Amino acid sequence: MTNRFSACLRLRASGVALFLATGLIAGCDAIGPQPWDRDLMAQQRMQLNPYPVEAAADDHIYFSKEGSSGGRAFAGGGCGCN
Amino acid sequence: MARGKLQATLAGLAAGLLGNGAQAADPAVSHVDTGILFYQELGGRVQAIEPELNGTLVFPDQHILTLGIVSDTLTGASPNGAVPSSKSQTFVTPAKPQGSSSVTSASGGTVVLPPPSGSGPGLLVRQYKVAPGATPLDPGFSDQRYAVNLGWAQPIDESRTASVSGTYSTEHDYRSISGSASIAQDLNSKNTTLNLAVNFESDLSQPIGGTPTPFTQMSGQLKGPNGSRTESDVVLGLTQIVNRYWILQLNYQYGYSNGYQNDPYRIISVVDPVSGNPMSYLYENRPKTRMKQSVYLENKIHIDDDIVDVSARYYRDSWGLSSTTLEVSDRSALTRDLYFEPLVRWYRQSAASFYRDYLVANQSLPQYASSDTRLGSFDAFTFGAKFGLAVGEGSEISLRGEYYVQSGNQHPSNAIGQLAHQNLFPTLSAVGLMLGYSFDL
Repeated sequence: MTNRFSACLRLRASGVALFLATGLIAGCDAIGPQPWDRDLMAQQRMQLNPYPVEAAADDHIYFSKEGSSGGRAFAGGGCGCN
Repeated sequence: MARGKLQATLAGLAAGLLGNGAQAADPAVSHVDTGILFYQELGGRVQAIEPELNGTLVFPDQHILTLGIVSDTLTGASPNGAVPSSKSQTFVTPAKPQGSSSVTSASGGTVVLPPPSGSGPGLLVRQYKVAPGATPLDPGFSDQRYAVNLGWAQPIDESRTASVSGTYSTEHDYRSISGSASIAQDLNSKNTTLNLAVNFESDLSQPIGGTPTPFTQMSGQLKGPNGSRTESDVVLGLTQIVNRYWILQLNYQYGYSNGYQNDPYRIISVVDPVSGNPMSYLYENRPKTRMKQSVYLENKIHIDDDIVDVSARYYRDSWGLSSTTLEVSDRSALTRDLYFEPLVRWYRQSAASFYRDYLVANQSLPQYASSDTRLGSFDAFTFGAKFGLAVGEGSEISLRGEYYVQSGNQHPSNAIGQLAHQNLFPTLSAVGLMLGYSFDL
């Protein structure tokens, strides 16, 4: 009974997630500037990761000193033992 | 054993590299980023010097080669996991006979002893003492890590780009190899980009003296064979240019790791149930599998001539650890060529289910236990500031300073005996200084 209930919940959650994702993508279609209005986005300082060396150094420190990792980038490349 | 990480960002893996799609609107040009990080934990703990280089070479038809190189030099003292005591404590651990930083008296009380009977060839025992009331730190920490990352990206058609990358990282007691692949799909006149990225990593832990059997006594004896682990990750990402001034990125990441996940040098104290005095030290034991999930949202907004970056992450894993991270920075132009960018980051973490400050002698052993404070409950703040100066077309020099502080429950209410008077979660404070230079080729 519990398994069937869990399976039902998972199915519903999957359906809701699919609906939200579809809606999100469809919604995205309606937003965003025209190409001639992307002058600011073309600037290097508006890139999401404009300074990869700094970002790597930051993630490096947090990866070694905290229990969480990932999100912005894949974690890994070392053991984090100290 | 050093800690390491090479970037494999979605932005770098896919559309951003190619200069099309929502992640990068301007044409990509060959570019080099260099930097050197000086990192120092206060109280004589870990010190690191890390030069880093990241190059992007753009070929015709927007085929892009990326190369990253990192070197890490780490020295200092690192917590071994034991609790402080009102009495002096002595610890022993295997040591390398030559070139080892263990033959030093810089921290006081560190001596190298002849190998115990039964030890393998070329193995010594390092002994160090910790003063009453002091946090037990292993003063012999020293490592050198090298890592290289190579990536390739190219368009598949007008709206799709693909990329692959590989990373190799090595240090004297750890080796890591990983490979990533990603694909990005542009939609909505390239205002929207969907990303799918996968990463597979294979690691080998080869600690000095071998990997200890969990929950056995700390010793200088030769231990077990090397330990290996694998990790697989998948990231689903959405990047959206909302309007002329605002771009956002939303990532969901799922990761699963399997294999040896212990810290081979980390111990946990077993204390007397009444006095709280340490009676023995056992090697830690963590689950062999870990499932991780995170959701990351970043917003970059152009306000007047400032650029405000606001990001948040929620993370949870099967070890019972969860965390919330918030980060805000504001890049403000001081002159045409000079900018100032302050940064604040807040991080809160709940403890893994098997985290213990110590074990109690008359109680049965739990299935898993670790006293690694990185798996404990704590808050952390980062305060930083950066100055950047344009020194030519596509060139910039920068100086960035950061202060990091991490604090947890120093005096748990249920601490036993003398432990009630000890600091069981010493505050970690660190400063970092980074010099950067980047230029177009």
